Amino acid sequence: MKSENVFLKILLGAYLILFFGYLLGPLLVMSITAFNSPSFPKMTPWECLTFEWFDVLANDERILNGIRNSLIVGTGTVILSVTMGLAGALILTQIWPRLRATYYTIVIAPILIPGVVLGISTLVFWDRINVMLGFSSDSFLHNGIFLTILGQSTFIASYCMLVFIARLQRFDVGLTEAALDLGATNVQAFRKILLPFMKPAIGSAAVLAFLASFENYNTTTFTFGKYPTLTIELAQKVRYGINPSISALAFIIIALTLFGALAHEMYRRKQQLALANGAPVSAVTGKGFQLPKFLKGNPAAILLIILTLGAISTIWYAQVHSPQQCILDVREQKRIETEKKIQAIKEKRRQEMLKKQQEQQKAAPSSNQAIESLAKVLLVAYSRLKTLKIMHLMVPPLFRKARRTIQVKAHLAAYLHRRI
Amino acid sequence: MSVTKAIHNYFERNGLALGSFLLFAVFFWVVVLIILPQLSMLDFSFRHHLPPPEMGGPKDVYTLEHYKYLVLGAPGADSSYNVVDLGVFGRTLLAAVFVTILNLVICYPIAYYLAQTKAGGFARALVLLLIIPYWINEILRAFAFRIIFGETGLINEMMLTLGLIDNPIDFIRANVALYAGLGYAYILLMIFPIYNVIESLDRNQIEAARDMGASWARIHWRVVIPYAKPGISSGCTMVFMLTAGALAAPQILGGPSSLWFTQIIYQWFNQGGNWPRGAAFAIVLLVTCVVIVLSMMRLFKVKMGDIGK
Repeated sequence: MKSENVFLKILLGAYLILFFGYLLGPLLVMSITAFNSPSFPKMTPWECLTFEWFDVLANDERILNGIRNSLIVGTGTVILSVTMGLAGALILTQIWPRLRATYYTIVIAPILIPGVVLGISTLVFWDRINVMLGFSSDSFLHNGIFLTILGQSTFIASYCMLVFIARLQRFDVGLTEAALDLGATNVQAFRKILLPFMKPAIGSAAVLAFLASFENYNTTTFTFGKYPTLTIELAQKVRYGINPSISALAFIIIALTLFGALAHEMYRRKQQLALANGAPVSAVTGKGFQLPKFLKGNPAAILLIILTLGAISTIWYAQVHSPQQCILDVREQKRIETEKKIQAIKEKRRQEMLKKQQEQQKAAPSSNQAIESLAKVLLVAYSRLKTLKIMHLMVPPLFRKARRTIQVKAHLAAYLHRRI
Repeated sequence: MSVTKAIHNYFERNGLALGSFLLFAVFFWVVVLIILPQLSMLDFSFRHHLPPPEMGGPKDVYTLEHYKYLVLGAPGADSSYNVVDLGVFGRTLLAAVFVTILNLVICYPIAYYLAQTKAGGFARALVLLLIIPYWINEILRAFAFRIIFGETGLINEMMLTLGLIDNPIDFIRANVALYAGLGYAYILLMIFPIYNVIESLDRNQIEAARDMGASWARIHWRVVIPYAKPGISSGCTMVFMLTAGALAAPQILGGPSSLWFTQIIYQWFNQGGNWPRGAAFAIVLLVTCVVIVLSMMRLFKVKMGDIGK
């Protein structure tokens, strides 16, 4: 029993390492390539530490433009899909029970519909509306940003709605009723009771919506028109020639993500710790800032600080560090290596030529011997095949072809035997 | 009829302004964004490919041309079926099924492990690590796989240095990179539904099974998996649909000779310029995927309401 447990533990450990290696390895490799000097992103061989790809990135007009468009689209999508998602979730709690399942299926469907289909349907639909209304082809209905926001919101609103539904399940309807009984108007009750309760959910839905919009490709690729988002620009760059400036961008995004995740984790941890120590909730949510305590037992905070320090020192180092000499060295080394390789190839060719000449001289006497030994082998094979041949008569016609090949071989052997 | 009463109740409860706003928002979403575009695309797919001035003219009639094209190929072609497009279609679906199964196998243990370990710091750190890759752009994730699997990529260089191989292996052409990248892209969508379900499983059930002498595999087969079925099918549905509808990963990681069905749709829209045909192909993809998913859900007796939990 115990040995089995140990075995399972080892298996589990190996599995966890493999799994997270698969999950994080690619990101790590990509980040590292951002600092390597070859113009094709690769990790091995390591040549020179360089920061020039960040410079290239910062001067890339298309990437910057893409980021701008992505931000606009993201903002629009967040507003639209959070509104629609919230309305959708509220309606779900009030809808006629018989319609409920159908309604739920319809609003959840956009998550399951392939993004490509959503993009196409949005494009086709608004194009036809445009034709129907008789607008010109550059009206706002054809505008890339307008279409992209609509296309993305179609399914991102479903994500938001799921977040809201989860939160609404814990809502006490009695609160709203009490407010209404006490004379609040419906809008007041909504604003003062329901919205504050939904606030955390709205926050996380907004973050989710923004991230989903920022990284969306499948839908956007059909709707973007003249306003390519960052993802579209990246896809085009990756498809038609890549260089490590994309790795540099990836590194920045990964670092920001890590930063955000750690900050969030730190905040939650702090709350938990304080609550565990018996502090009132109001004290926890207040913005008290005590450094020594806040580090205590909070690994996320410590990691965050280390990360920040690392980032600052990296930026400082990037200003000072100059990879020029190293790059020159590597180039020189490469030149020497190439020359060596050329020399080696030349040498090899010369050797081969010599060998050939020698062999041609030797070839004449030894050829008879070779043929004799070959014939001996074939003779043995022939005698065996003869017995086989009888058996083959019983084989169904399906194998006729195989039989024929064997027969041909046997004839060949017999022929060779006769010749010798 | 109780409809008027229901409507009356609704406005009573929400007030006129708020009630109509909610209704308007949902109407806009459900009708203008979800239903009408799909219907419009369906309608569009039955029309001839016409230049804009002729739209709505006498030639603008319904036709099965594009669906026929998908099945039979261009009129006057050599073979009687459209072998290329149908082949790609079949291969896409098969590959999507393969990636889904692969993902399930990879993700089930980690979901089980995370759900059953006590909510300590270690498990939380693992969850955090799970989420981080998902925040990185889809394109960048595919790009990372290209760096790793490329001809001068990490794996090839390492194997060359170690002397395992003499010539670089073309992982891109062999589609290894594609499957790895596709599996990677949707891991999270497989883990979380399973995790959510298993988390609510009473540990006592497992303990009881163990006390009665059930083996490790038997506990999973008879206790955990039946309980986690809604989560598993929800995860599988999402991964399958997203994989079959993926565009970025096949474009970046796909080999030169292997196309994904979405790429054909993309070509009809962007390079071929034949929108109705692209729309028809998209409809075929959508309907096929929905049929597969629904029949799978019926087979495993899972309800639609379980999806997205």
